[in-house]
Amino acid sequence: MRKRGSASLLLLSLALTLGMTACSSGGGNSNTSGNNAAGNEAGANNEPAKTEATTLSIMWWGPDARHEATKNALSIYTKQNANVTFKPEFMAWDAYWQKLPTLAASKSITDVLQMDAAFITEYVSRGQLEDLSDIDLSGIVDPKVIENLKIDGKLYGIPLSQNAQGIAYNKEELEKYGIALPKQNWTYDEFFQWARDAHAKLPEGKYPIGDSIGWDSFNFYQTSMGKDPVMAEEGKKFTLDKDLFMTYYKTYEEFRKAKIVPPAEQAAAFLENDPQADPMASGVLLTRGATTGSVSALEQLMPGKVGVVNMPIGPSGGGWAQSTIFLSVSANSKHKDEAKKFVQWFISDKEAGKALGLTRGIPINPEIYKELEPTLEPKDKLGKEIYDLSVEKALPFYSAAAGFTEWVDTYKKEMEAVTYGQQSIEDAYEKINKMGMDLAAKAGS
Amino acid sequence: MGTAETLTQAPHTKAARTSLRKRKNKEETNLAGYIFIAPWLIGFLLLTLWPIAQSFYLSFTEYSLLEAPVWTGTDNYANIFRNDDTFTKSLSVTFIFVLISVPLKLFFSLLVAMALSKNIRGMNVYRTAIYFPSLIGGSIAVAALWRNMFGLEGYVNQVLSWFGIQGVGWITNPDTALGTLILLNTWQFGSTMVIFLAGLKQIPQELYESASVDGAGRFRKFVSITLPMLSPVMFFNLVLGVIGSFQTFTSAFIITKGGPINSTYVYALFLYEKAFKHYQMGYASALAWILLVIVAVLTALNFLASRYWVFYESDGGRAK
Amino acid sequence: MMTIRYKISNHLFLSVFSLLMLYPVIWWIGASLKKTEELRLPTIWPSIPMWENYSNGWNFSADYSFAHFFGNTLLMELGNVTGGVLTAAIVAYGFGRLQFKLRGFWFSILLLTMMLPGQVTVVPQYILFNKLGWVDSYIPLVLPHFFGGGAFFIFLLVQFIRGIPRDLDEAAKIDGSSVYGIFFRIILPLIKPALVTVAIFTFIWSWDDFFAQVLYISSIDKFTVGLALRMFIDQFDIQWGQLLAMSFVSIMPSVIIFLFAQKYFVEGIATTGLKG
Repeated sequence: MRKRGSASLLLLSLALTLGMTACSSGGGNSNTSGNNAAGNEAGANNEPAKTEATTLSIMWWGPDARHEATKNALSIYTKQNANVTFKPEFMAWDAYWQKLPTLAASKSITDVLQMDAAFITEYVSRGQLEDLSDIDLSGIVDPKVIENLKIDGKLYGIPLSQNAQGIAYNKEELEKYGIALPKQNWTYDEFFQWARDAHAKLPEGKYPIGDSIGWDSFNFYQTSMGKDPVMAEEGKKFTLDKDLFMTYYKTYEEFRKAKIVPPAEQAAAFLENDPQADPMASGVLLTRGATTGSVSALEQLMPGKVGVVNMPIGPSGGGWAQSTIFLSVSANSKHKDEAKKFVQWFISDKEAGKALGLTRGIPINPEIYKELEPTLEPKDKLGKEIYDLSVEKALPFYSAAAGFTEWVDTYKKEMEAVTYGQQSIEDAYEKINKMGMDLAAKAGS
Repeated sequence: MGTAETLTQAPHTKAARTSLRKRKNKEETNLAGYIFIAPWLIGFLLLTLWPIAQSFYLSFTEYSLLEAPVWTGTDNYANIFRNDDTFTKSLSVTFIFVLISVPLKLFFSLLVAMALSKNIRGMNVYRTAIYFPSLIGGSIAVAALWRNMFGLEGYVNQVLSWFGIQGVGWITNPDTALGTLILLNTWQFGSTMVIFLAGLKQIPQELYESASVDGAGRFRKFVSITLPMLSPVMFFNLVLGVIGSFQTFTSAFIITKGGPINSTYVYALFLYEKAFKHYQMGYASALAWILLVIVAVLTALNFLASRYWVFYESDGGRAK
Repeated sequence: MMTIRYKISNHLFLSVFSLLMLYPVIWWIGASLKKTEELRLPTIWPSIPMWENYSNGWNFSADYSFAHFFGNTLLMELGNVTGGVLTAAIVAYGFGRLQFKLRGFWFSILLLTMMLPGQVTVVPQYILFNKLGWVDSYIPLVLPHFFGGGAFFIFLLVQFIRGIPRDLDEAAKIDGSSVYGIFFRIILPLIKPALVTVAIFTFIWSWDDFFAQVLYISSIDKFTVGLALRMFIDQFDIQWGQLLAMSFVSIMPSVIIFLFAQKYFVEGIATTGLKG
């Protein structure tokens, strides 16, 4: 008797285990249907008439304000188009880019997804995104902007907002030490000279500018001098101008020796927008790079102290000013037409524009921006200022070509070794150039 | 694989020696054995085996995750061994990490576990306090905290400056960065300590009492009772420490990002970036299988060596 | 006399050591009460404590408060802990006590599954779970715990079971117990401390397992605490005060569980009585 009892207990636990499996497969099915989404929809109080009811899945990253605004916009769309409901999925930046490759691998990317200029080429070149060239954006987005955004002649992301690269400076401290504020359209020579002059007036432990180890900083320099971008033609053409490379990094080497830039050990600890480790908010640097999208974070760390200027320029111009955040449609979507209709609506509808506000930056659609202009806060105004200062001399936005993400990291590591004095600039050049050339050859084959 | 065989051989031969049981009995225990391991075995066959097999297949492909994998034969393995300096670098960083942090953590957690195994008032509060750092392990706060401690202007350097010593940026100095990660890892000794604690408490008090009657001192009791009785648990902590440390990831990922200049670029971080940042899952899979072989060999050695020092009560007292 | 001094020195040592270990926690509480601009100052305590970091953090989402996310996580944990404790002991008994064909082989496999870095199996596993329609549910997170609770715990319990003298089994066998009876009446009570360890670790580690949660849970309705916490950190917008406040709150269940459950695992078998 006793023996039987314990055996059946065991069986019970096994049955539980199996039951778990069985239940779960039953429960999972509901996910693929739209029932779930309807339940989640904030404020969607309508049971739409069943004319080809569609559920669009949509995914974006951002802070909470963006989540709330976007959900509101989605419910406006559902009100206007009763047959469409949404299954929204939203998270923060890191989680988003951790998750997306796995979704791509399982062909389950959402119908509509937010995209970033830093990643879009990677997804386009692997056929993950739908060609959106046939969406009519006339009167909504400047055709020149659209031309700029095309990859291999096609548009894969609907631009959402204006972005630009500039330099933020600590207005308060520069004034305190009697250093002239940076001026619009300063050249690289003026920029370097400004750093030398500012250094002379600063106490120990404060530095006018930061060191440079990222590929993009050098790419700004190379393109402003009229040369090709480091990566061109979807990564098939690779140009790392040795003379410019040497000049640029020799300058920084001089700066390291003269303590115009902080020592490598200190620079490596910088973490932008971290309250303690941000190069500028921590009071160590007086300037740092900033974009329209990011400057508001800095302004929150040091309210009222931030001023902005555009990137230094060369004979060809400098910096960039364009959209870097998009809505794309998955190439595996089953509702491409609905999705395309929706993304067009997203940047053109007035009511949506009001709901979305500035949660994705300065709206690309001038009409919508005009209505929002009075609501701009100081942090938003700084961003707008970067854009306005940059737009005149801006060059196109050059993102890393598909397949070059590892090269981007290698570049940084090799240049980091230079700043630590463990490698010559020449050696770093050889390694970076060789790897880039190999990748370009691979992309071309 | 042969190792676990040796692990299980001891009781097996013993069983054969002690009594010649009937064959029927053997079949019964065969069945019982499979019934008991069934939950794991079913899970393994249904959920785990397929992804593992997949990753093995993928290690022979070029796979960006965004496109279907393309068979490339042994290219990944050849490239890893022939052309990849980062592989060598990250492997050596990881070996250093394992070699220092595993013994350090074992020693430290055993020491603390012994201090915490006494029955005094308020002990549960002390235990919780000391376990606390291990709870914040993966938390976002830990990165900020570690910078506060070991940054150029951090508390460690402040303390050093009282003695007139000029500190460095411990996390950003290529010579010391790995050290701070090892320290962090040791600081989070909680789970190892708890397992020791549970092991210590499993030792029958009577053993100590009769040893006291025999006039044994504290050291003698430790050597002849605590250590052998604790050896299965110590062995567990050692094996798992080695396996876990070879895959150490979180602290390097959130604090140093592998820098400066790859000085903390541990193997698992290298592998992660290959897979999810550089879109080379095939290559990353090959890296993973190489790591598996390395760790498996080391674990096998561990099991072989265990025969000389691990003492199982169930084997009648003497491990051979 | 002697013992009192011994006790006092014990307490002294332990409280100093605890304080040293807790120092970061004190820093953390201080930081969680600071304004963002104040965070860069080296002070431990803020000039004006911002208690609203806690209340705003708790209610950061318009849809749900943190109570909802705590509820979700505890529900998931209930499954995980039940599954782990229930099955790990069963499997460990099989490996640790019973003879069966290919035991060594299966045990080696069990250990090998721990040695392959999870990063390379996560994608095939996701594809599998996605095909089964289990994405955006807790099944992918909970179900694996019902299959032995993971190699770590099985191995842990095997070690504990092997530490139990066989005389006890033999005695039970003579009394007519089957292998099942021995498991339930002898082994299970004796490994109770280890089982509590399994429960605590399962709880703490699944609380932390962000990478799996971010993959498998997509609707905010099902968010765990870990997922909700990550919502504070966007690319250019990090709510530091709320983040630090809520991540502090988020480890409290683990602290409480640890505080109260430890009496079971440290009581050990010394009081249960092992021999005679």
